[in-house]
Amino acid sequence: MNKVIIKAEGLSKIYNKEASGEVVAVRNVSLEIHKGELIAIMGASGSGKSTLMNILGCLDKPTSGSLFFDEAEVSKLDDEELARVRNKKIGFVFQSYNLLARTSALENVELPLIYSDRTNIRKLAEDALIAVGLEDRMHHHPSELSGGQQQRVAIARALVNDPDIIFADEPTGNLDTKSSYEIITLFQKLNEEGRTIVLVTHEQDIAEHAKRIIEISDGIIVSDKLNKSPRDAKNGLDKLLKEVKNEN
Amino acid sequence: MKTKRIILNALKSLGKNKLRSFLMMIGIIIGILALTLIVSVGFGAKDLVMERVNKFGTESLMIFAGGGVQLSQMNRNQGRTTLKLEDAEYLEREIPEIKGVAPYSTKRNSDVKYFEKATTSNVFGCTPAYAFVWNWYVTEGEFITDEDIRTLNRVCLIGSTVQKELFGDNNPIGEQIRIGNIQFEVKGILEAKGTSPGGGDMDNRIMIPLSTFMRRVANIDYLSQVKVLLHNPKEINATVEKINQILRERHSLAEGVPNDFTVITPTEVTKMAEKVSGTFNIFLALLAGLSLITGGFVIANIMTISVNERKKEIGLRKAVGASSKNIVLQFLFEALAVTISGGIIGIILGGTGAIILGIVMQMPISVSWESILVGVISASAIGIIAGIQPAKKAAQLNPIEALK
Repeated sequence: MNKVIIKAEGLSKIYNKEASGEVVAVRNVSLEIHKGELIAIMGASGSGKSTLMNILGCLDKPTSGSLFFDEAEVSKLDDEELARVRNKKIGFVFQSYNLLARTSALENVELPLIYSDRTNIRKLAEDALIAVGLEDRMHHHPSELSGGQQQRVAIARALVNDPDIIFADEPTGNLDTKSSYEIITLFQKLNEEGRTIVLVTHEQDIAEHAKRIIEISDGIIVSDKLNKSPRDAKNGLDKLLKEVKNEN
Repeated sequence: MKTKRIILNALKSLGKNKLRSFLMMIGIIIGILALTLIVSVGFGAKDLVMERVNKFGTESLMIFAGGGVQLSQMNRNQGRTTLKLEDAEYLEREIPEIKGVAPYSTKRNSDVKYFEKATTSNVFGCTPAYAFVWNWYVTEGEFITDEDIRTLNRVCLIGSTVQKELFGDNNPIGEQIRIGNIQFEVKGILEAKGTSPGGGDMDNRIMIPLSTFMRRVANIDYLSQVKVLLHNPKEINATVEKINQILRERHSLAEGVPNDFTVITPTEVTKMAEKVSGTFNIFLALLAGLSLITGGFVIANIMTISVNERKKEIGLRKAVGASSKNIVLQFLFEALAVTISGGIIGIILGGTGAIILGIVMQMPISVSWESILVGVISASAIGIIAGIQPAKKAAQLNPIEALK
């Protein structure tokens, strides 16, 4: 087994809501993520899968339990150190893309690099956009791009600072089937190149493309299995294109 | 490198959100514009008063006929008969500190004619000493002489306005003009003095010998005013004492009876000017402060709204690795850029407005850079504090909370 990147021990997240009292979103979750994995965290809406991922991705804080990132305990990091972890080690892809409006694809991808110590950020951003197949859309604004293209800009932004792990929260949630396959194809390709990727999805179909599938229900891991034969999204995409052709 | 990138990014973000930047800027622009305008006009008015004091001279004092004459009534004391020519002559003889006295009497808005051309002008009965006491000489011809005084000569000196009205481009020297019903020969042209601090035309005047004025024109035996010039401005208080003493004695005023004359010194003029401009300044400061506070709060409002709107952006920036400090730095520079450029625009507009106002309303304008600087700094401070506080709060949220 490869090196452990993230280790979670007894993570819980409890929200105190005035109307409904205590809501436990994540309940005593422990898990390890190794370098090179492609993991799908699956669960129904409200199962706590996104909350778990936000905690693993250092965007949210657990109510209790501890999280180790590269053996450093995240709760003990100060604001600056935590910012550095988010900047250097984690790439995040959101369901709603979260691109800056009125800002070109290139500048959106440059955003993490602004806060890094890197030089030559323009070149790095261009390379990342080429890697997601958007070399001809670099100067387009989000409003001029399709949903799939916007999500690819977001993936380029997650990739650009060469992070240890990429988290994607329902990355295909707003996309049509074809675009979804394209995005998953991209993730599989990136994983083959050695990147560690964690996806959150509620679709079985999407989850089956991962090498490891973690199922969550009511904030508890109900199953955590390796997927011996992950589906190839490229095949799915080709099949889909063929079908469309035949229909026409 | 990183800091520079964050600052550049902040400035770019302003360019991308033009309406928001413009709205924020408007607050500062209006505040600074109002401040510049108010301060420029206010200081101009103050300068005007001080200029009046300086023109009068610090080594001079005025004696007016009648008691309790106020500065503002300087020109309205005609008809008081208590001040005589002999008083002035006596003072000059008896008080060694006095360098010269210029006793004079005036008649305002007299009809003046040269053939069929007519105008109205202010007639001054003067002695030869008037020239050096007031530092007012002729550019052509000759000033009033002792001989003119002795012989009640009907000669006159005319100001440039009178010259223009009656003679146009022709040479007036030696010509005969009529003041009322009496003929005078023009013997000189007075130096042009322009507009008086009170706004009157100082060149619309005719000077004739004082004796001629008293006996032939006005038929009076009293003066309007005496200007006294001293050798040394330091001797002014002692001299005022002596003048009071001598004049009271000459006018046989018993103890307890108020003066039937008024002595006004430059100190009193200055004091009065300062009192006036002091009241004025408080009023101005109040107005300027009000406009600045308004401007500051406009920025504060928009900054607060904009930070709330931009919470998502702050969350995203944090998610990709911005520290709280980086976020605050960005908002600080956005606020700085807006307030500084807004301030500059405000100063330019306000300055231009003040100059135009000065021309249109014929008011003096004086720009006080110190107060404008204070204004820009305080408005910027309000804007920056108002902008940074909510940004700081948003930056302290977990990224995911801000992103929601």
